[in-house]
Parts: sequence; C-alpha cells; structure tokens
Amino acid sequence: MGVLALEMFPDEVPGVDWIGVTGDFVRVIDEKCDGCACCVRVCLGECFEIHDKKARVRSLARCMECAACWYVCPKEAIIFNWPQGGTGFRTDWG
Amino acid sequence: MEKETEESKEYDVIIVGAGFAGPVAAVKCARAGLKTLMLERSARVGEKVISGLTIPFHGFLFGPDFIREGNPPIERPVDGIINYIIRDIDSCDIEIDDSLRIPKPFSPVIAFGYNAYCRPFCEWEAQMAVNAGCELRTSTTVADVIKEDGKVAGVITEDGERIRARIVIDAEGSQGLVAVKAGVREKYPPEVISLADVYDYEMSKEDVDTVLGHTLRFCWAWDEENLAPPLGYGNGLMVWPYRRSVHFCQDQCLSLGEGRVSNLRKAFLEYHRNITTKLPWWRDEVQPRVKLRAHMWETFEIFVGLDKRLRNMPSCTDGMILIGDAAGLEGTELCDGVPAAWFSADIAADVAIEALFSNDTSKEFLKRYEERVRDHPMIQWSISGTNRYNLRFAQDLHDFEELKKYVHRGWGLACFTHVSTPLLKMILRFIREDPMIIDSWIRMFFRYYYNWVYERYDQRDFADRKGVNSAMKGTFSSFLFKSFIRGFAITLRFFSPFIRFAARVLEPVCVVANPLMGLLLPFFKGFLNFWAKLEPLTSRISDVSVELIKWSDPRIFERP
Ligand SMILES: Cc1cc2nc3c(=O)[nH]c(=O)nc-3n(C[C@H](O)[C@H](O)[C@H](O)COP(=O)(O)OP(=O)(O)OC[C@H]3O[C@@H](n4cnc5c(N)ncnc54)[C@H](O)[C@@H]3O)c2cc1C
Ligand code: SF4
Ligand code: SF4
Repeated sequence: MGVLALEMFPDEVPGVDWIGVTGDFVRVIDEKCDGCACCVRVCLGECFEIHDKKARVRSLARCMECAACWYVCPKEAIIFNWPQGGTGFRTDWG
Repeated sequence: MEKETEESKEYDVIIVGAGFAGPVAAVKCARAGLKTLMLERSARVGEKVISGLTIPFHGFLFGPDFIREGNPPIERPVDGIINYIIRDIDSCDIEIDDSLRIPKPFSPVIAFGYNAYCRPFCEWEAQMAVNAGCELRTSTTVADVIKEDGKVAGVITEDGERIRARIVIDAEGSQGLVAVKAGVREKYPPEVISLADVYDYEMSKEDVDTVLGHTLRFCWAWDEENLAPPLGYGNGLMVWPYRRSVHFCQDQCLSLGEGRVSNLRKAFLEYHRNITTKLPWWRDEVQPRVKLRAHMWETFEIFVGLDKRLRNMPSCTDGMILIGDAAGLEGTELCDGVPAAWFSADIAADVAIEALFSNDTSKEFLKRYEERVRDHPMIQWSISGTNRYNLRFAQDLHDFEELKKYVHRGWGLACFTHVSTPLLKMILRFIREDPMIIDSWIRMFFRYYYNWVYERYDQRDFADRKGVNSAMKGTFSSFLFKSFIRGFAITLRFFSPFIRFAARVLEPVCVVANPLMGLLLPFFKGFLNFWAKLEPLTSRISDVSVELIKWSDPRIFERP
C-alpha cells in the first residue's frame, strides 16, 4: 500500500490547497467498525489505515471531502461532517 | 454544540449551498422581493465544487433567463462526442462512433453544450444573486435545521448560530448531509454513487484547437483492458477540451452490489497509467503537449433516478425543499446534473414565492414542487436514461454488438430515439408561452460564441470589441447581424399568434417524435452522410460566419 501511495502522490496533490484548522470532521466509531477496510480501499487520499483490526483516521491532510468512506462503510461506523466553514480543500480546477 | 445566541435576523428564504443550483433559486427569490440569505461552506464560492463539465445546451435554452441573457465564463463550446469503443488496446482494435455531432455550418456557433470550470461559473452565478439583492455568507457550514412543531423554521450553523427563515431551500449537493439530518430523505446507498477521479492538464490553446477541437471524447472498454473503469457497472472515461486545458475524468460506482467494494485507488492508478501510455490518441497527440495541473476526486450520484424507491423519496417537507443533486436529480447517462439543478431551482423558487405569498409552507403546499419536477420532460428524461446502466449486461455477455448499441443510444445519434419527445415538448412549451424566446436562443448562441473568442464575461475586465480589426469590417458585419436579428424578431412578432397556435396544436402530438425517430433513423443517418459530403462548402460557410461574429459589436446579441 505504501508503494502505491508513493506512485499516486509523488509529492502532493497538484492544484489543490488545504486551508486552516479543519477539526476532526471524519471519525470512526470503534465499537461499530469490523475492520472490513472498505474505507481504506475507496479513499483516494489515503486517509485511513487499519490498526488492530479497526479502521482509524490516519490523517485528513489529503481529504477531498468526497464522502466515499461514509457511503461505503457497511457498519455505519463513519461519522462524516464538513470541516469548519472556510477550511479544508480548495481548488480552481474543478 | 448549540450556542446560546440571540436569534439574529429572520429571513423569508435561506438557501443552503452556492453551487450550481443555489444561486439560481436565490436570484428568483431576491427578484421577487423576498429577504434571501445564501449560505456557503467554502471561503470562496465554487472552490469546493468538482465536476466535468459540459453543461448541455438544454440547460441554457430552458434554464433561468439570467444565464441565457447573461455572459457567464465558459471554457469552450462543444460540438458533439466521439466514442472510442475499445476491443483490444494492445492491437489498437478500436471502433469509433462519432455520430452525435452538430453538423457544419451550424457548429461551432450552435453548440451541443458549453464546457466550464466550476469555481468561476458558480462564482458568476452567486454574484448575479448578490446583484439581485440576495445576502451571501461564505465560510459558513449549515449543520442542522431548526425544527418547531416538526416544521423546518431555519438553519443552525456549525457555530450554533440559529438563523430563522420561513422557508429553507437546500442546494447542498449530492451528499445531502443536512437533508438526511432533517429527515427529508435517506442517505443514498453506495450502488448509486460513483467516485470520479479527475485530472486537469494544461495545453496551449492552439494545441487544444488542433488536437481536440470542440469535441468531447468518451472511451468504453472491457474490464480486462484495465483502461476505462469496468463498464460492467456503468462507468467510463471522459475527456473534455477546455480553452487552454484538457479535463479528464474516470469514474466507477463505489459498490458493485452485494456489498462488494473494489480497491478503487489501485484501479484508478492503473487505468490512468494505461490510458496515458496506451490509448493511441492520448499517448501520441495529447500526452506530449500537456502538463498535469491538478488532481481531484469527488463522488456523484449516478443511478438514483433508476431506483424506484430512491426516486420516490420526498424532496420536500414542512418548510423545506431540496433541489439539484441534493434532490437526487443527477442525470443517469451523460452525468449531466447542472440542467436539472437549474430547472429544479427555478421551480423551487416559484413554489417558495407562491407559498410565502399564500402564507402556507406546509408539506402539502410544497408538494407542488415535486409535482412540477415530475412533470418536467427534460428532468425526467435525464434521470431515467438506462443506456449507461445497461452497459453492464453487454459486459456480462461480452457482446461487442450490444456494447456498441448502448453506446450509440446513449452518446450517439440514436439518442434521438429517446430525447426527441421531451426536447420537442420543452421547445413547444416555451414557444407557446412566448414565441420571442426563439430570438433569445439565437442571440445566446451568437453571443456565447463571441464571448468565448474574446473571453468576454460579466464581472471581468475585457477590451470590448477588441476583435474588430477594421472599422469597415466591423460596420459591415454589425449591419449584417443587426439586420438579420431585427428582421427575424419582427417576423417572429408578426407571426406570433400563429406560432403560438401551432405550438399548442403540436404539443400533444410530440409523443410520436421518439418512435418516429426510431423509424426514420436510417434516413436521418443517410441524410447526414450526404450532408457530410458537402463539408468543404459547409466548412467555408461556418468559417465565414465565425469571422463575421468576431468582427461584430457584441451588443447586437444582447437583450434589446
Ligand atoms: C466528476 C463529475 C463530472 C460531472 N460532469 C457533469 C457534466 O459534464 N455536466 C453536467 O451538467 N453535470 C456534471 N456533473 C454534475 C454536476 O456537477 C452537479 O449535478 C451539480 O454540481 C449539482 O449542483 P448543486 O447545486 O445541486 O450541487 P453543488 O454544485 O455540488 O453545490 C453544492 C454547494 O453547497 C455547498 N454546501 C454543501 N453542504 C453545505 C452546508 N452544509 N452548508 C453550506 N454550504 C454547503 C458546497 O460547498 C457547494 O458549493 C458532474 C459531477 C462530477 C462529480
Ligand atoms: S471524504 Fe473522501 S478523501 Fe476524505 S477520508 Fe473519506 S474517502 Fe477519503
Ligand atoms: S468501512 Fe467501516 S467497518 Fe469497514 S473498516 Fe472502514 S470504518 Fe470499519
């Protein structure tokens, strides 16, 4: 997985900036998570990792706020909100 | 997290989200004299909207008049689609279906649609709303709605501020966090959500002009080709030529049914590499001329309209209406959500105005919004197309003929076997209402083309008429267009009663347009083939008319 990540993001995600202090807008509820890793497989920003058979948010530094993780989680274990207004990703090329 | 704040102001209407739909509703409400507030979570409007994007012509023809009569920032007019149907990439076994093209001399002035970047376009729309008197607050995320006796009475921001409104129009986009929280609709299942992996490449304008021109390119391939995302679940690869850039998107449904979620990160990476190194036209013509500028991803709803249960989910409740993607109105075929977002925003604003003037914002009253959406031929057409969905069966059977058939029906000439009736219905509805709309449509195509050439957009400085390179030419072409447009308008006005009558008579009859097109398609194709043979002549006419437009005074194409 690490190798894959390097291939996809040589340095950073071009053309996108991340602003400000977003807060923990994506969270995993441990009790509900069964470690199926669906969230890991769909997140293009590599925001999740599996630790002790549970998903956890590694970093939201490349989160594009797409909500794919929230949609696919079969256990409703992901709490998804928007980051604080005016923070998070921004782009001119969407 | 609710803060004890005094309930600040009360508004007539609050609009959540300033994407494509929100500002359209805002303009109409503000113009009707309603006290309107639009809330947007991004710092700058449009900077969180990720899309394709070709906005198809019908959005402009039947959408809000301020867009049709305005000068929004567009990237390039589009004249049609080239489909690459790939049997085997290594031996370059590729078939082409480019039957859906606006023929010369009409193209590129009469366009199939307009490409645009979301940030400037949404920003332009929002500015129009502000000009109309709407208040806009950015960097403000709506977290929930205020509920009183089960009725929506305003919104609560993330900071706990409670802002009251008599009606809330929710234009927050497909995720619908507020709509789900307010209990209007459920969260959509992953089977109807597609993840789009979007790239933006810089390319010189001359190169875009010669390599890609004005035509969209779609690719369709078998799973094993690892090229375009697997067709089996209705996915594809799309390439859009912009002014000085190429926009590229591959997308794939999040879940393949039965809870199967594939490793999309791995798949997208592999497809992207294969496309850029193996697909002949990308590898040889595009790749050497481009520089990667941006990489983004976003989910969008794709088959909501095909699922009966989802389709019947409410899009209003007491005091609240959902519009655009929030209401599940994304197209199922072209993934064209913007026209439906505009149409639904227009309808919602009408209903909100009626509701406020009748002092009744109950669900019962607001249901007329749902009825009008159900009665809108183009919205219904766009959320019920099955060709992209049906590609999965061609995939299962590995049947190339089936695959070609669905591609031809979805993005080839055979789309006229399903779009003719709704399109004609809309045209006749508008003409019946006011025959002078035809004049607006024609002026729009001319003006948009002129605007594209000179990057002449509202809210932006530009040297007006910098295209007029000689006063003589300018006077000549302006005279020509003025005479044509004035003459056309006078004729139209003169025959108005007759045109109205004809539209009324024809409207019920247009249900036969689809089956008729089915029968006439071979003749239609034959005619287009014959027409294509006239290319040297038609191209010349097209070039001359483009030159004339460039020399003209653009004010001729504005509302008189
Ligand atoms: C990759 C891709 C390609 C596409 N291609 C095309 C195409 O070619 N043609 C076409 O017509 N359509 C296309 N679409 C669809 C089109 O982008 C959408 O249908 C359209 O953006 C819907 O408009 P909307 O106003 O409903 O939602 P959006 O445009 O998504 O706007 C929602 C706005 O609300 C804001 N917001 C969200 N939640 C909150 C909140 N809680 N508080 C405050 N603000 C909030 C967001 O920041 C955003 O600005 C494409 C979509 C994608 C993802
Ligand atoms: S919202 Fe999208 S980018 Fe962010 S963590 Fe979820 S899947 Fe990853
Ligand atoms: S998809 Fe849900 S259940 Fe599966 S690992 Fe991620 S958070 Fe846990």
